[in-house]
Amino acid sequence: MATPRQPELRLLGGAIPYIEGPLKVSGRAEYTDDMKRPGMLVGKLLRAPWPHARLVRVDATKARAMPGVFAVLTGERYPTPFGVLPITKDETAIAVDRSRYIGDIVAAVAAQDELTAERALAAVEIDVEPLPEYSDPRVGRERVDVPIHEKGLNHSNIQKEVVQHFGDVDAAFRAATATVRVRASFAGVTHAFTEPQCTIAEATPDGRLTVWSSTQVPHYLHRALSEVLGLPMHRIRVVKPEVGGGFGGKSDPLPHEIACAALALETGRPVKILFDRDEVFYTNHGRHPTYNDVRIAADAEGNLLGYDIEAVIEGGAWSSFGTVTTYYNGVMAMGPYLLPSFRYKGQRVFTNRPPSGAMRAHGGTNIRYSVEVGLDELAEKLQLDPFDLRSRNALPPNSTTINEFRVTSTSFLKCLEAVRERSGWADKWRRLPYGQGVGLGCGFYISGSNSPIHFTPKMPQCTVHLKADMDGGITVHCMQADIGQGSNTLLAAIVAEVVGVSLDRIHVSPVDSDVTPVDIGSYSSRVTFMMGNAARKAAEGLRDRLVEATHQLTGYPREAIRVGVERFEVEHRPDIGATYMEALHQAIQTTGALQSTGAYTSPPVGGTFKGARAGTAPAYSFAAYVAQVSVDDETGVYDVEKVWAAFDCGRPLNRLAVEGQIHGSIHMGLGQFMGESMDYRGTRLMNPSLLDYKIIMPHQMPEVECLLVGADDPEGPFGAKEAGEGPLVATLPAVANALYDAIGVRFYDLPVTPDRVIKGLDRRRTDSRLWKGH
Amino acid sequence: MTTQRVLRLAINGQPVEVPSPPERILLDLLREDLNLTGTKRGCDLGTCGCCTVLLDGRPTLSCLTLATLAEGRAITTIEGISSGTELHPVQKAFVECGATQCGFCTPGFVLSAVALLRDHPRASRGEVVDAISGNLCRCTGYTKIVEAILAARPGGPG
Amino acid sequence: MHLDPFELHRPESVEKAVRLARELAPGFDYLAGGTDLLPNYKMHLNVRPHLIALDRIPELQGYDLDRIGAMARLADLDTDPEISKHYPALGEAVHGVATPLVRASGTVGGNLLVETRCFFFNQSFFWRASLGFCLKADGDTCHVVPQKEKCYATFSGDLAPALEVLGAAVELAGPDGHRRLPLEDLYAADGDGIQRHHLRPGDLLVAVHLPPEARRRRSTYVKLRPRPSFDFPELGLAVALAREGDRLTALDIAAGGLETYPRRFPSITDGYVGGTLSTDRIGELARTVQAAVRPVHNTAYPPDYRKRMTGVFVRRAVTTLWEQRGGS
Repeated sequence: MATPRQPELRLLGGAIPYIEGPLKVSGRAEYTDDMKRPGMLVGKLLRAPWPHARLVRVDATKARAMPGVFAVLTGERYPTPFGVLPITKDETAIAVDRSRYIGDIVAAVAAQDELTAERALAAVEIDVEPLPEYSDPRVGRERVDVPIHEKGLNHSNIQKEVVQHFGDVDAAFRAATATVRVRASFAGVTHAFTEPQCTIAEATPDGRLTVWSSTQVPHYLHRALSEVLGLPMHRIRVVKPEVGGGFGGKSDPLPHEIACAALALETGRPVKILFDRDEVFYTNHGRHPTYNDVRIAADAEGNLLGYDIEAVIEGGAWSSFGTVTTYYNGVMAMGPYLLPSFRYKGQRVFTNRPPSGAMRAHGGTNIRYSVEVGLDELAEKLQLDPFDLRSRNALPPNSTTINEFRVTSTSFLKCLEAVRERSGWADKWRRLPYGQGVGLGCGFYISGSNSPIHFTPKMPQCTVHLKADMDGGITVHCMQADIGQGSNTLLAAIVAEVVGVSLDRIHVSPVDSDVTPVDIGSYSSRVTFMMGNAARKAAEGLRDRLVEATHQLTGYPREAIRVGVERFEVEHRPDIGATYMEALHQAIQTTGALQSTGAYTSPPVGGTFKGARAGTAPAYSFAAYVAQVSVDDETGVYDVEKVWAAFDCGRPLNRLAVEGQIHGSIHMGLGQFMGESMDYRGTRLMNPSLLDYKIIMPHQMPEVECLLVGADDPEGPFGAKEAGEGPLVATLPAVANALYDAIGVRFYDLPVTPDRVIKGLDRRRTDSRLWKGH
Repeated sequence: MTTQRVLRLAINGQPVEVPSPPERILLDLLREDLNLTGTKRGCDLGTCGCCTVLLDGRPTLSCLTLATLAEGRAITTIEGISSGTELHPVQKAFVECGATQCGFCTPGFVLSAVALLRDHPRASRGEVVDAISGNLCRCTGYTKIVEAILAARPGGPG
Repeated sequence: MHLDPFELHRPESVEKAVRLARELAPGFDYLAGGTDLLPNYKMHLNVRPHLIALDRIPELQGYDLDRIGAMARLADLDTDPEISKHYPALGEAVHGVATPLVRASGTVGGNLLVETRCFFFNQSFFWRASLGFCLKADGDTCHVVPQKEKCYATFSGDLAPALEVLGAAVELAGPDGHRRLPLEDLYAADGDGIQRHHLRPGDLLVAVHLPPEARRRRSTYVKLRPRPSFDFPELGLAVALAREGDRLTALDIAAGGLETYPRRFPSITDGYVGGTLSTDRIGELARTVQAAVRPVHNTAYPPDYRKRMTGVFVRRAVTTLWEQRGGS
């Protein structure tokens, strides 16, 4: 039986301050580095100074002999490879045989203090044989003498190649009235969360290993620890303290976490590893530097006939999520428009540089940029308003894309309508004075990757347990990872909503693998949708027990009892019922504390061809943004004054959280557009610091107006869909298209720094092309 | 071996004595010797503002302050801002406005904001932006932080 | 990240400081606000075993409109409306330094003597060891312009150009007593990123003196940088001028963030004094200054962009000041 819609929500849908907010604002929230364990040692990592080297000899004898040094580990001790994707496990806790980038971990030490640890690292002797270096993903795609990984395709550095063809793209281009081609390049960007990675591990004589870590994926960490260390999972306990931001940079089990645990096992003492800020940059796992080439075909009316896409993405030294990223750089172009044909060739190529991985709006950002800029050019060619081009091609609700993505709810047309109106588009586009402009950018994103990464054992993607005992509190257990996006609060609010109680009765248990049932982690924007559904089920189970108890107390039939506020009462007879506490105490009489469980597994969707799963989701979010900019054409400095952000996340369950995600996503997207860049000279990262990696300042943030216009999603909890990553993608093209409106220059190489704006203007002037008379 | 001395520090209005060598950094002393872990370590190089404390009322980077040179000065950490379990109006505003997401940068911003509003109770949006321009946030895009600080002004957000 | 151990000295007079400096040289650094020194020390850049803290020397503290003590905190000048009113270039320069948190500790002397910067120098020990140390720290080769003679690290302080155009002089104390020299003579135009001052070992910067004419100048400081806070100047341009009727009676331009020292352009600007400034004349002035500067690629923006912006900033700043109503 379908869950009845709750027409009026008491808590959900409003602005719900984070339940742990008071702890965060008073400095009482506990992050991993705030913790100390008795007898704790300092762990430090020796990092490779070479881009690519065979480790001929690694001798830690002198280091081990130093007073105050408790252990020095080298790669061969734990050589089992691991990786976030089971199909591409190519990382080791510490480099074995070879190091593959400047910053790769080649030894780990546990010592009594930081100074001793550093001296020990300096005493490790390593002889190397330098190997050929690769710093450009476009190079090394043919056979090479020494591929960075043995498993590279045809003895090259290609980690993954995806070739897909749906419909007939060549026919589409032959039939097209208009085609555009966008060739773009994107510097790598990185998460730059404020809390550096930190892990504490402790092995005790009872055979247990406990690991506290700043992670988005406690469950994947748990699996990786077990695999690499050779310990059964039940002897390992993973705890997630407060996490100071992730954005995908902590969504892999990371080598230092395993190295830390190994040091703990070796020494029998707790060991803490805290990264210096430059280590955060070397660890990276950020957005892949990308070269893409997108051709778009359309008929005279502007109906899209097909896309032909090629992309080369730079993997850096490890695989990480890269197989998925390679698919996403093509398939995340499948929405929000209906496409009759599509061809994609994507290659992910290893280089001797810090590894790329998943970063907010993973795989969907760079391709979205090229498509949306291409559509802006197409609109110009066909003399259509960019809005009209989008709306006529919008994916309809309850449709299937040509690569078999199942699209259920979509309010994309509403987004377009709302943002066009609120931004004053009709009076601004192509009508503002030279130097000022507006631009449209659109997007869509997965609300959770439909399939889990691990298929054994078969299990739900999220399980929630509730406990309600005589004190009237309800404890919620779930391994969901709140990394600042508000999932603890949502979990509590859903339970409070369904059971009809005050939010302060709900305690969200700390995430601890001994206690909290598995949720697979905070990545792919799955938590609201999947945890939300599991939580709702669990809460309904508890509610039903209390309804049953009220029936016992009042004698009225169960169907006649409804949930009030801290009360269960008879429909049309609100004077008859039981308070929450009365119902609870009635219910626990024979069983003691009540328990309830809820789980979520996404429905099977998508095709059966190779790679069909990549990009499937139980629902998708949609976005249409308008950005307004002003440009100083002598300096190239531009100001993004305002962004109107129309977003379809279905029903927003916590307005504060959704708005916060939109603001943060725009900040991150603008950063990538305006100046964030992992700058390399060859294989050397030049700017591993928060001074030199330019995340934008508050003065640079536009005013943001959020337009939340989504309709309820049929499968989302209370109609909700994701709002964690989707809000980023539309940002970059909206600004790029606004710059074109302002000064008549297109940008194909990101970031678009002022010196590049000047170069663009110089080129336009050299071509004697006037724009708005200038 | 450098000379260790007992430093007499005034922290959140309380006198504290801590033996310290001259090279000891205030941030390390607070977090490690005194277990005042509310002040965060984000970069150790003065490039993020997470380590902000008030020194004689002025927001200062504790990662770039030698503990010895903080003797004789009033040090206020985030732990000194609430009164017992009662939050300061700035803290309340941060919670209510959704200005704290992951929370790691929050103590630094709260201190910068408390100092600003103490000196400029009617701070304008531009003054707020200037005052927080040394604190990095990666989660909020600063939008709700500015909103919260404006809301925490004695006259309210208007 | 910890600091290597050092001895900390806290003299209470200029004489004591200078005497200590003489004893400890070359194994010491003066410690002012610490916001430039301590990050460099944490990265093991030219660390010394002794620090002479200047926070207890009364003669270095405080400021007024004529004399600014070397230990005057940037935050104090920043929040003082008298500074902005009388010395707009100085007010603007101070306001742009780093962030309010850095300005809380940072000092005028520290900013004038800020360490030169370069992407090959301002890196961790690990990074520099992996490339090979550079001429400025532990090595013998420059990585910016490969050779072993000259260091190209860039002068990155904001206050120096502003104070130069205001005609500031510095007061130094050394073993032979106090002396004064024009601020621009403190910097070695004939030096490089390492030998960048005309200071003798142990010399202590005591104060900055501003001449009475400085209050009669129109002045401004404009800073080019990727972000509106944190970032050092990619170009920091200061202009001061005086206008009587249609006559330019004084003109001074100084630029930081481009070369190894904050450079004035008297051989260019002197030629304009006494005449009038038309749009064409200003354009010519801007082009001439632009042609004279030679930035290298060791900062965030490419050198050709910074050079071009020098011309744009000169033109805009001079035009704004020339057209300003009233005096300073």
